Amino acid sequence: MSLLVLGLSHHSAPVELRERFAYPETAVPGVLARLREAGLAREAVLLSTCNRVELYVATDYPGAEASTALRTFLARDRAVPVPVDHAWYAHQDSRSAEHLFRVASGLDSLVLGETEILGQLKRAYDVALQNGCTGRMLNKLFQAAFSTAKRVRSETGIQRGNTSVASVAVELAEKIFDGLKGREVMVIGAGDTSEKTARALLSRGARSVIVSNRSFDRAAALAKDVGGRAIHFDEWEREFAKLDIIVSSTSAPHYVIDRARLANMLSQRPSRPLLLVDLAVPRDVDPAVKELDNVFLANVDDLQGIADEHVRARQVERARCDVIIQERLERWAGEFLMVCVAPGRLAFE
Amino acid sequence: MFGLTDRNWFSLAVACYGVGALYSVLLWRRGFRRDDWVLYSLLAVGALTHTSAMFLRGFSIDRCPINNLFEASMFISWTIVASFLVLGTWQRLRFLGAFASPLLFALGVFALFPMLDERGPKPAFVHGWESLHAALILLAYGAFGLSALAALMYLSQEHNLKFDKTRAVLSLLPPIQRLEKVTTALLWAGFGLLTAGLIVGAWWLQQQQGYFLSGDPKVVWSLAVWSAYLILLILHWRPLAGGRRFAYGVIGVFAFVLLTFWSTNLPSAIHNP
Repeated sequence: MSLLVLGLSHHSAPVELRERFAYPETAVPGVLARLREAGLAREAVLLSTCNRVELYVATDYPGAEASTALRTFLARDRAVPVPVDHAWYAHQDSRSAEHLFRVASGLDSLVLGETEILGQLKRAYDVALQNGCTGRMLNKLFQAAFSTAKRVRSETGIQRGNTSVASVAVELAEKIFDGLKGREVMVIGAGDTSEKTARALLSRGARSVIVSNRSFDRAAALAKDVGGRAIHFDEWEREFAKLDIIVSSTSAPHYVIDRARLANMLSQRPSRPLLLVDLAVPRDVDPAVKELDNVFLANVDDLQGIADEHVRARQVERARCDVIIQERLERWAGEFLMVCVAPGRLAFE
Repeated sequence: MFGLTDRNWFSLAVACYGVGALYSVLLWRRGFRRDDWVLYSLLAVGALTHTSAMFLRGFSIDRCPINNLFEASMFISWTIVASFLVLGTWQRLRFLGAFASPLLFALGVFALFPMLDERGPKPAFVHGWESLHAALILLAYGAFGLSALAALMYLSQEHNLKFDKTRAVLSLLPPIQRLEKVTTALLWAGFGLLTAGLIVGAWWLQQQQGYFLSGDPKVVWSLAVWSAYLILLILHWRPLAGGRRFAYGVIGVFAFVLLTFWSTNLPSAIHNP
């Protein structure tokens, strides 16, 4: 019996192809049962996320033959033509284990080191386990993958730092305010990134979001989505005294907030920090405002720069992760794989 | 103890603080990205030898060792290092050592100047009230010192947040709003202690010499410092008087205290009879 993984991921296939092979969770027990009934696998786990569809099997078929048979099976099951070969990848035995360890640790993810994949993998394994589709080989393999991911997470910095503009804006806010709970946020201009930023701030405890936009209807729609309050564009200054964070992303060709105007507004309120997140291009906020005491300005380049720094830091950690994965792979092979598979079947590198 | 005098033990402590101060330069350059146990350990060893010095001096004179400038400096720096060791048990606050060690080293080097450790007759106050007065005043300056350190951290992080956001985000320094709260709280604590210390001192002056106030340089200086901190606290309530300006004020007043505490002590007939 050999171990095999067959998959499509964001590395190998466009979303148009991945979505055709994606399975909703409710359909997974059925496909696993059909796979076993067809005699293609003794044990099977199906992972289906927006970025990958992967089938992990323990099968009696030889490697290349199993790969072809499984591809044909999946295509028939989804009623789609078999896609071109290069869109699929297949790994056998120790390479399939290594691939799983990397996936579980977030090293194969679109955002390096992200943790959501581990939860998705645990869920996929749980579905297979509950439906009796796993056995000794996949149980050992997935347990080893989960413990490897845990070790990678705790012993390296692969998951440290945020990598999206919205989450970096929140991280910056947390370096200014003593907690985000109860903070008042205003969104000026109803753009996509400002909406994500507002949602991220709300998720960390911000009290409410006031949305101001030239089109009041768009402001009202966004306010409804995020559970906030819409105001007319020319009214935002009236709300200023109670604001802690302003996220601006209008398409105005000039500054919406300039230094003199802001200095005047600040004199009307108690001394406390104000964070201005300027996501607009051209910029909405005069860069000279950062000379004002207690005013902090971050534009889209600042935030992207921090996100890039986090990505670079994660890349540096990749080598340390690889060492852990290799250690765990050797241990897994020594302890379990030789018990499950006849000696001489596997060629470890 | 081990054939070493109290000054020897204190010198060892100052050496540890000196090494810590050098090591802190590295931490400053790195931007406090990780908590650091090396500096914590160095300061812990320093605190141990520092405490030994305090005990030896205290037992040798059979009273709280705050009777001359050497002892006063030793007591203030001990307050600061002890506070750091307590706060440093929380891993995220261990970076505070990078701010505390240069101050401890500077205070220690100053305290070791020989002319500051002269054992004259007992000052005008007697019994435990003298110790209480001195202890309250010195604890107040310890709190003001910590407040100035928090204000320094505020300025460092505020500068990063304005001009080097990546460094600010990667730093372990707490949010600046919390630093401002800590600065203010320590300032209030110091102000309360200073007020209590001055009241005790004035009351005993009245008992001993029949008047509450005198034109003694140290008394005048103490009242000036007390007024400066009061003005800072009042101004902090006003709009536009928080943040950077407040931090500069706190550091400025404490720098004045550090630079003039010793020079006003020497000509004081009450404190340096």
